[in-house]
Amino acid sequence: MHIPDGFIDGKTAAITAALSAIGLGFALNQVKRELPPRKIPLLGLSAAFLFAAQMVNFPIAGGTSGHLIGGALIAALLGPGAAVVVVATVLIVQCFLFADGGVMALGANIFNMAILDSVSGYVIYRLVSRFLPGLRGRVTAIAFAGWCSVVLASIGCAGQLAWSGTVAWSAGFPAMTSVHMLIGIGEALISALVLLAIERTRPEMTAQIEADRPKRGNQVTRYGLLATLGIAIFVAPFACSWPDGLEQVAAKFGFGLKAVSHTVPALAPDYHAPGIHWAVGATAIAGALGSLVVFGLAIFLGRMLVPVKSSERPAN
Amino acid sequence: MSSRWLNPHHGFPDSPVHRLPTGLKLSVALVVIIGTALVPWRMSGWFAGVAVLLGVTVLFSRLPAIFLAKRILVLSPFVSGVALMNALQPAGRADWREIATRSALCLFAVILVSNTTPFSKILRALKAVRVPGLLITTIALMHRYLFVLGDEAERMRRARMSRTFSRGRRFQWRAMSTVVGQLFVRASERAERIYHAMCARGWK
Amino acid sequence: MSAAIEITNLTYRYHDGTEALRGVSFQIEPGECVALLGPNGSGKSTLLLHLNGILPDESSANGAVKLFGESIRANNLEKIRRQVGLLFQDPDDQLFCPTVHEDIAFGPQQLGLTESEVEARVAKSLLQVGLEKFGSRATHHLSHGEKRRVCLAGVLACEPSVLVLDEPTSDLDPRGRREFKSLLREISATKLIATHDLELAVELCSRAIVLDKGQVVADGPTVELLNDEALMLAHGLERPHILRHIHPH
Repeated sequence: MHIPDGFIDGKTAAITAALSAIGLGFALNQVKRELPPRKIPLLGLSAAFLFAAQMVNFPIAGGTSGHLIGGALIAALLGPGAAVVVVATVLIVQCFLFADGGVMALGANIFNMAILDSVSGYVIYRLVSRFLPGLRGRVTAIAFAGWCSVVLASIGCAGQLAWSGTVAWSAGFPAMTSVHMLIGIGEALISALVLLAIERTRPEMTAQIEADRPKRGNQVTRYGLLATLGIAIFVAPFACSWPDGLEQVAAKFGFGLKAVSHTVPALAPDYHAPGIHWAVGATAIAGALGSLVVFGLAIFLGRMLVPVKSSERPAN
Repeated sequence: MSSRWLNPHHGFPDSPVHRLPTGLKLSVALVVIIGTALVPWRMSGWFAGVAVLLGVTVLFSRLPAIFLAKRILVLSPFVSGVALMNALQPAGRADWREIATRSALCLFAVILVSNTTPFSKILRALKAVRVPGLLITTIALMHRYLFVLGDEAERMRRARMSRTFSRGRRFQWRAMSTVVGQLFVRASERAERIYHAMCARGWK
Repeated sequence: MSAAIEITNLTYRYHDGTEALRGVSFQIEPGECVALLGPNGSGKSTLLLHLNGILPDESSANGAVKLFGESIRANNLEKIRRQVGLLFQDPDDQLFCPTVHEDIAFGPQQLGLTESEVEARVAKSLLQVGLEKFGSRATHHLSHGEKRRVCLAGVLACEPSVLVLDEPTSDLDPRGRREFKSLLREISATKLIATHDLELAVELCSRAIVLDKGQVVADGPTVELLNDEALMLAHGLERPHILRHIHPH
């Protein structure tokens, strides 16, 4: 999902750069205030870890293999502020050292992967693990968080590409989101297995991470607002096509839906082109249903990976 | 997994380009990248000029051409993806040839700078433009330990594979996730030791 | 004149409760070169981390460790760390800067020296370890032996009066070991060397302390201790070959 240079236009690059700079600024401040000095090298080492971990291949079929992306996982392990710093660092080094992701597109990549991915992963992880206790709950939580975070990041990416006029929303959103819903399953599975592996070898490490977590949760709100702002800017204009898309899906399946009239904001190009808006609607429905299905699968995964006895251990 | 890929700089060959001041290289690269991404397509003079500049720099940099060509190929999935999606649903100004040219030129510029400039100089340049100290420290530590962790991961993976007799995906996934989990644990422990080493030499 | 290092009844427990050190006591005079021997897990590394206040975990020490007569406390850590140079077991943990020059300069910079003083120290240290031209080299590109020498240079640049080394020659090839040994011989500071390299102990250290399961089980002249086969075998060590062919006159 690392967008190269030349795929997004000037205004998109500028806005995402601004959003990312603000978000990274928040994160650096939070880390400076809350992270104990002995954990400062952990930021750099976690970034190195994430990079190295992303190169471990998990074979799928034929010659293909998947790998961990890790935004949600690192947020679950280190907290949202530290995760934003860590993922942004990985993206910066990948950009300058390995030319993986464009220089002008760095703002967009950081917004999608450090802010959208990590922060949403964190929020979902905390939410789910609060309601589902124990190790089993945390495994379920990280699996679901991993899936959602990847899908969300891809939506942001599709929005930015559409805003730049590079790829139409009606093609980009369905294509990217459906692909990432599949990739997300790999991410869910790998994140769950890795969290479990850490828990099994060093339970005191995860316990220590829980203990070190600052009590104030309101820090997340600022990232949440930033993320929402980004989504609002890049995705909401296209969301107006959803009723249109939904209507087309409905027509295909024979339900009659009242035609929904909508206005199209001038900034966003393309959607008067006739054609596959049904793909947008279908993807939106698939996404909503998909998240329910994935949540169910995540619970099943938790049950399968964590036998009854371990889940009775006292947790967060 | 190839940690060989993690070592893009096998020793540092010298060349006139290597010896140019870092600030100059970075500023020129930035201008080239921003210009190439934003300049209207019809101004073909710009693109031709940039191509010539980059070509000349490549010659003077003594970087192997095959190495550069391979890096450009990284772009092909993105370009084909865009081409495909635009075939299905055309939009705006997106001509895949235009996008391919812009992104290839920008990529070239980044590769040239990163392969002719030691990373520590790039860090110093970032410090000069007031990037926050904590971020610079994190980037520096990441770069320092990325090869160390990459090697550790490769060794663990090989050790695991030597003991994995079943070719089943399930076992392999379990094995690889243990490797990744162990990598995090080792990274955390090393971070603690680095903190001790920093304190031992007076860090506050 | 007070002892360089004075350890009195030092105890330490890990987080999970296991005892790492159980009442360790010994004294080292200025200028001595002492080998710290013992099997794996005997507590050597843990002991060494007490010598510059890294352990116990930033909580106040109990006066068990004294340096030149002064107890290590939370408020004199800076002074202690100027005097004690600690060389860690894994050079990768200690070499955390991007280039050799920056890493060696780290200590002097933390000490608050001026830029020219820092430069002078770096140059001197590089010369001392025989790596004059290595200043601009990237740390992740060095060989294991070179890394160990840069770590030594980084510690020497702080001009400590006590040098504490944790397994300095492990993972070195024979030439690397010889070179490192001759480097250590040139350094005049008080030295405490934890090592499995029994030949190093015989060649450099007049005195040896044997640690096993967190306790001092022997303390005396190196050759005498290492010639005591029963003692060696009882504590996971052995009589080194070098002594089988030397008859001290």
